[in-house]
Amino acid sequence: MTTTEELDIITRMRGEVMKRKDLTGENLFLAWGYPTAIVLLLEFAALMIWNEDWCDWLWAGIPLIGTPLMIYFLNEDYERTRRRTLDENVILMMWIFIGFASCVGGAAMGFVGVFQYCFFAYLGLLCGLGCFMTGIILHFRPKTICGIIASLLSAVPLFFQGDLWPLQLLITAAIVTIALIIPGHLFRQYVKLHRL
Amino acid sequence: MNHFKFQVINPLLHSELRLKIMVGLDSLQSADFMYLCQITDSTRGNLSTQITTLKEAGYLDVSKTGIGRFSRTTCSITNKGREALRAYEDGLRRLFNERVPDMKDKTGTE
Repeated sequence: MTTTEELDIITRMRGEVMKRKDLTGENLFLAWGYPTAIVLLLEFAALMIWNEDWCDWLWAGIPLIGTPLMIYFLNEDYERTRRRTLDENVILMMWIFIGFASCVGGAAMGFVGVFQYCFFAYLGLLCGLGCFMTGIILHFRPKTICGIIASLLSAVPLFFQGDLWPLQLLITAAIVTIALIIPGHLFRQYVKLHRL
Repeated sequence: MNHFKFQVINPLLHSELRLKIMVGLDSLQSADFMYLCQITDSTRGNLSTQITTLKEAGYLDVSKTGIGRFSRTTCSITNKGREALRAYEDGLRRLFNERVPDMKDKTGTE
């Protein structure tokens, strides 16, 4: 092979990979968004009706529903494309980190007794930042915008303290809808339109 | 100058299929064997041989999951492989840039 031929192969192969960079992960935001929003609403309802200790176990519903759904959709994506790009890996690692940060942060706040005061602002901020970063990496503007809005709104739960604290659950459900569910549906439509 | 030219040619990457595999994996985190088959437009046997060569050189990580017919081979490029590819590409570009002025001199153009 001559130098020109080799450089031509390099350029052609890069183009070939770019051409096949089919978008994936269109269901992941929804796989986490719906369980989170539903559990927040159920928790609010349970607190209003029963207000007992067992209501706290409802939180376990988020990882119990979200994790299998995420694994299922990730496998489905890999079956279809048979490859994983660097961008996809960065986004996946970032959201896994956000998931762990939420669990560890929630447990720590519960341990020191400030869960009701600041956990929901923390959760909203993490979701908003994750959505914003995902939008930047994917060059998908609706996610970036929803991420900014959710991050700004994440301060709102801090204003509901004392007897009003259960309202934080409703506000956080709204923030999760803005950070995960709405951009999730918009991205799903976008991927359907641009699928190779 | 000739010494430099010989240094540039990494014999492992101076093969069309091996170069295609490395460039293809360079822009990905990991890829399935079948995906590589498609983008390199090669046969399974040939691809498997070249992947083994690159793996032995430490340029690729190869992992197998599943059993028998349902097994899946996933390949990813290592840091050593990525560095080798960068060095190879840089060398090729330098060689190419050296050759272009030579050709212009011979044809009398600027």
